[in-house]
Amino acid sequence: MKRAALALFVVAALCPAQEQDVLMRAMRDELARAVTLRLPNSPAPYYIEYGMDDVDTFHVSATLGALINRGDNKIRAPRVNVRVGDARFDNTNYIFSDFFGRGGGSRMPHEDSYDVSRHYFWLSTDRVFKGAVQAVARKQSALRNITQTEKLNDFAKAEPLKLDLGKSRPAAQREAWTATAKRLSAVFNEYPRLTNSVVEIDSGFGTSYLVNNEGTEIRYPDDLVTVRVRASAQAKDGMLLHDGLSFHARAVGSMPSEEVMRAGIHEMAKNLTASLDAPLGEDYSGPVLVEGAAAPQLFAQVIGNNLTLTRKPVSEPGRTFPFPVSDLEGRLGSRILPEWIDVVDDPTLESYKGAELLGYYPVDMEGVKPVPVTAIEAGKVKSYMLTRQPVRGFEGSNGRARLPGAFGAKMALFSNLFVKAKETSPDADLKKKLIDLVNQRGKPYGVLLRKLDFPTTSTSEEIQRLSVAASQRGGGKVVSSPVLAYRVYPDGREELIRGMRFRGLNVRSFRDIIAAGSGEQMFSYVGTGLTLPGLNSGGYVAGHTVVAPAVLFEDLELEKREEDFQKLPLVPSPVMVSAR
Amino acid sequence: MLSTVRNLCLWALIPVALAAAQPEPKLLDILAEELDRNFAVLKDKADPKAYYIAYEVVEQQNESVSASFGVVTSRGFPRHGRTLDVTVRVGDRKLDNYHTIAGQFAQFTAGIPLPIEDDPKAIKLRLWQETDRCYRLAAQRLINIRTNKEVKVADKEVSDDFSNEDPSTHVEPPAMVSFAGAEWTERVKKLSARFAKYPRIHSSGVTVAFSNEVKYFVNTEGARLAHGRPFSRVSVSAAGKARDGMDLSTFDAFTAADPKKLPKDGEIGKVVQRVADDLIGLLDAPVVESFVGPAILSGRAAGVFFHEIFGHRVEGHRLKDESDGQTFAKSVGQPVLPEFLSVTFDPTLKRVGDEDLNGWYLYDDEGVKGRKLRLVDNGILRTFLMSRTPIPGFPTSNGHGRREPGAEVVARQSNLIVEASRTVSDKKLKQMLIEEVKRQNKPYGFYFQEITGGFTNTGRRGIQAFKVIPLVVYRIYPDGNEELVRGADIVGTPLASFAKIIAATEKHEVFNGYCGAESGSVPVSAVAPAILVREIEIQKKESSRDLPPLLTPPMNPASGGGL
Repeated sequence: MKRAALALFVVAALCPAQEQDVLMRAMRDELARAVTLRLPNSPAPYYIEYGMDDVDTFHVSATLGALINRGDNKIRAPRVNVRVGDARFDNTNYIFSDFFGRGGGSRMPHEDSYDVSRHYFWLSTDRVFKGAVQAVARKQSALRNITQTEKLNDFAKAEPLKLDLGKSRPAAQREAWTATAKRLSAVFNEYPRLTNSVVEIDSGFGTSYLVNNEGTEIRYPDDLVTVRVRASAQAKDGMLLHDGLSFHARAVGSMPSEEVMRAGIHEMAKNLTASLDAPLGEDYSGPVLVEGAAAPQLFAQVIGNNLTLTRKPVSEPGRTFPFPVSDLEGRLGSRILPEWIDVVDDPTLESYKGAELLGYYPVDMEGVKPVPVTAIEAGKVKSYMLTRQPVRGFEGSNGRARLPGAFGAKMALFSNLFVKAKETSPDADLKKKLIDLVNQRGKPYGVLLRKLDFPTTSTSEEIQRLSVAASQRGGGKVVSSPVLAYRVYPDGREELIRGMRFRGLNVRSFRDIIAAGSGEQMFSYVGTGLTLPGLNSGGYVAGHTVVAPAVLFEDLELEKREEDFQKLPLVPSPVMVSAR
Repeated sequence: MLSTVRNLCLWALIPVALAAAQPEPKLLDILAEELDRNFAVLKDKADPKAYYIAYEVVEQQNESVSASFGVVTSRGFPRHGRTLDVTVRVGDRKLDNYHTIAGQFAQFTAGIPLPIEDDPKAIKLRLWQETDRCYRLAAQRLINIRTNKEVKVADKEVSDDFSNEDPSTHVEPPAMVSFAGAEWTERVKKLSARFAKYPRIHSSGVTVAFSNEVKYFVNTEGARLAHGRPFSRVSVSAAGKARDGMDLSTFDAFTAADPKKLPKDGEIGKVVQRVADDLIGLLDAPVVESFVGPAILSGRAAGVFFHEIFGHRVEGHRLKDESDGQTFAKSVGQPVLPEFLSVTFDPTLKRVGDEDLNGWYLYDDEGVKGRKLRLVDNGILRTFLMSRTPIPGFPTSNGHGRREPGAEVVARQSNLIVEASRTVSDKKLKQMLIEEVKRQNKPYGFYFQEITGGFTNTGRRGIQAFKVIPLVVYRIYPDGNEELVRGADIVGTPLASFAKIIAATEKHEVFNGYCGAESGSVPVSAVAPAILVREIEIQKKESSRDLPPLLTPPMNPASGGGL
């Protein structure tokens, strides 16, 4: 609230501030010329868009109290999109849409130079335009040989928007954050069994620009500070265990205090250390209580990610194209959750109950102002996350274009996802219900999950194994494995177990939710649009927050991770010498 | 929004000129302690046993700025980082985990980051884990190698996998060199602005790059080293597109160790002008046609020529590997070049005249002292560039085992120096070219003035071809006229070209650059006279056929015109 008011004041006082913005002028002026680009016997451009992120970054990393490295960087990443033809048929949504018009040697200046910025956009647009013309011609000839099952338009209308929220003011606190990273990383000195640990603080203070030939002009600040913590260790049988933790803030002022972060690291380190001695979990099929961070983490992966519909690009005969499809595709109106659960996505909220929401943004990458969307109503699929790319059943954006996408389109992603249960039980009662079910079924124990490996700290080999297992079991997409999993015995005792992963968990499993808690768990993370983002994401990122209650599944399956464990090192740890 | 990819974001120490006598770096003690602790276990209790371990830490401070048309286009902010490379050898000198099978080089090390603060606990934890990881991979590979030996035909010639060398001790970390980042930023901006006069130059740039490198090395033979040097470079480039779509570019660079030795703006400005003029000339120059005939290569062009067609073929490991072409394998003692030419590799040479050499270093990446060697003596091949990987007939290293952090060491070039026992003046060389043109009944000959590095394929499967990529080339007519041409590529097979060098000048030129090969990018130089080659083969390079930009350039040329 406070930040938005300040921005408006700035705009009013310096009006027309955007007129004086050198980059904005350069983009606007060159765009005005770019619409005149023509090649003989080829379709003309009907839509041209220039976007740019101007970001100042800072990074510092430390381990066990020692500085690894730190440094600054500046990124100016321009995007030029040209559509030739018309909204019904253009050069996008074709497998070679991104292929033509690549490359280019000119560099975008890091200083605000009108001339050199225009020079960049001039050469870039020329190249992209020529590529668009090649792509649309080739797309046309590809279509002569294949029949399209569905004819969708290539681009949806949107209202032009002029929005100026000012520029970002870089505020990296280099010295303070370096000291904080070192101090926080030193916490792991108290957990000598955790052989690998690192604390990283990253900040990006950026200004985003967008101009198109429909009259849209956007400029707004987009800042993010992230603290990422990772640790790993080997259990006695050689199993590699790892976990991570992150804190985020969209402004320096809303960063969590060092005390809060320190407490979080202690908790993670204690749990990871305890996991080293935990027994291996066994294959399990039965009731599962998902609480703590695990609830929003699960909803993010299985519901949130599936609210993005993909559109199959026009291909060429003989080319098979492995194409990820949402599990919710074609399920409009189907019930996928209990009828007492709604799911609402709302990027217009900056905070919720005093906590900052990471999924907030004022306008999307296509210049469309986002609106809240009820994705699931009374358990039934009502809507999806949409961009200006028409998808089956929908033409028209709801302002969810959050990352660059493939084949000339943008990627739709959820933002702040609220899972609202109308019928709830007190959180403590959920465990009782779990035990009741366990007894009813005559099982020796039930399972309780408190945290998943999301975003993942797994190695690429581990992710590979998970993907293979997921597709073999007919589960489809990968869901990250539990990090904190417990057996719950009929007497209420909890026993930490390790080495479990989900089996066959997908959207269908969510129909088996039989109860939800009255509390709300909030989980924020930064992703790259991948199903399983890593805890080390770079490049274009989107923030998400999920608010969800603890939920009790009547039936879920978990299985042992089957793999050969690496032998323990022959040489004892240099920090455990005295313990031996 | 955009975040940044992590991994090598670093911070500069405030450069301070340190006194020559410094206390021993604490890092060496930390490395040595952890090395000994790990080796004590791995040499006795492991199976297979380790017989050698080495730790190399490369500490770098880097900074760079690029400017184009008067504004900064990118900044390499001050960075400071350390990278660790671990070598574990299991088995024994005769057969260990580094043995090459069927052209597959072993890769164990990973170049992981180490804290830049000398915290023993934090550093030792990483050393320990990395040693374990490399040991594991080493053990696995040795088992594969032993199996392979049972199954495949015995290698024709057997040599050991690791040489016997005396360990060196040299602890002299170099004094910190300062880099005036702010001042250089203004300078490259101003220099780059000169290209703005030329609307046909689409992209151009002036870049200054600086790095200060310190290498720490310990091994289980008792070696203990700390040494290093700075590197600085100013490079100038310009590119444009001819009307027929051909992309053209020109380039030049100044290299020095200490950035204070880089030239003043006046001298760099002259080069900026020449790079611009050459490009403008090229944009309208006629395109070459295929040609076989005589050519002169300038000293710098000849340096690259020798580096590519000769230098890579005398890197020792290539002869050991059964999949390499082994061009010179049987040639020791035989003539490989005309008798008036000799080739020396000298990593101890810091400069030639006033120019610093890029390929200078004290110790290589296996801790062996860099040694000057006479590789070719009046045309006769005497030896090879050697790392600690022996080849038949050459059991020891001559200090040329090099790598980029993160790669495994192989024999690489240092400073390549070509000398001629009989020389002619520049003027005479041109006369000889014309005589040769007439003798061969050709319409013209060629002069290669500026080139950029090419690439070679020395594997058995590909053709033994080399490519040196010319930038500025002239046709020389029998009447002495010189005509700038574009689109020329030198091609050919190495053995044939060597025999055809017929003359050389007295004056040498220096080409400083970076060489990329199996063990990554390493700094090198090539010092050579201009040479006359009886027969060189040229073909027209592959060229884009894109149209030039459809709209006119938006920038207003500065008053004073230009094309």
